[in-house]
Amino acid sequence: MRRDLILGLGLALALGGGPALAADAPAPKRVTVTGEIIDSWCYLSEIMYAQGSAHHQCALWCARGGVPVGILGEDEQVYVVLKMQDDSAVLENPGIMKLQTNKVTVEGNLYERDSVKYLAIDTIIDDQGIVNYSHEEFDIQPFGE
Amino acid sequence: MRKIGTLAALAVVALGAGLSEANTAQAANSWGLPGEETARFDAKVVDVMCVLTGDCPTDCGAGKRVMGLLRDSGELVLAIKNAGPFTGTARDLVPFCGQTVTADGLFTINYGVKTFALQFVKPKDADWRGANGFIKEWAKERALDPKDDKVKQWFRNDEQVKALIDEQGKLGLKSKGITP
Repeated sequence: MRRDLILGLGLALALGGGPALAADAPAPKRVTVTGEIIDSWCYLSEIMYAQGSAHHQCALWCARGGVPVGILGEDEQVYVVLKMQDDSAVLENPGIMKLQTNKVTVEGNLYERDSVKYLAIDTIIDDQGIVNYSHEEFDIQPFGE
Repeated sequence: MRKIGTLAALAVVALGAGLSEANTAQAANSWGLPGEETARFDAKVVDVMCVLTGDCPTDCGAGKRVMGLLRDSGELVLAIKNAGPFTGTARDLVPFCGQTVTADGLFTINYGVKTFALQFVKPKDADWRGANGFIKEWAKERALDPKDDKVKQWFRNDEQVKALIDEQGKLGLKSKGITP
């Protein structure tokens, strides 16, 4: 029995050790976040103006291209989305693309690691659609068309 | 937190996208990012959700999960961007899920968040390769030459994007009667 347990643990570690990594991580915090669904790269890199309707098309491009989607919270923090409801396949996700640029309120588990806030969303409490009409000031980013 | 010229920045990203092959002496190209730091380091390719929650599919989520690079120091690096235009790193890293690679690119720190733009990757016992997996696969899926203009402008030619823009408009406000 003891030998089987040791063999089992050894096999689990050899196969990747994912749960062992997670065991080292602090427990998540339960949070409610309100903010705009953004393209995390364009916002964090400041490669262009990256909020609201001005950046909607580019946000679709980046989401389709597999750049992680984030939420820019009203607290001005960036939350990188790891899971949306039951779906952890968040990259190139057509359902998430449809929500791009919307102002939402979500609930989920927050994991903070090495300066990044990661959010595993389980509930979308509210979806107001696009409320930031930034195109009035910034036109269409980045190319104007 | 500084602003850089959009067109200049996109030009360097586009330049990066053109670097489809890399040699061992190749170092990361500067993109003028906030808090930019060139870096080359060894790390294990991981699925971030797996590392943080213990939910670990064997294939790191087959390119659909947020990818990271776990260094020996324990630092989990968010691999947010690859060298292509408007594309991420999953397709560059997923083939090496669970393996140690050498990553070459740029760290950027802004708003207190540190992320990594991957420009080149070297699997163990293999040659360096440019981190432009998305665009290569996008071209292959459509039987197009990677140098075709349609591929260079993949974001304007992608079927999913075009369908959503038809539905929502470039500003996302078509349903409210607002279009450019």
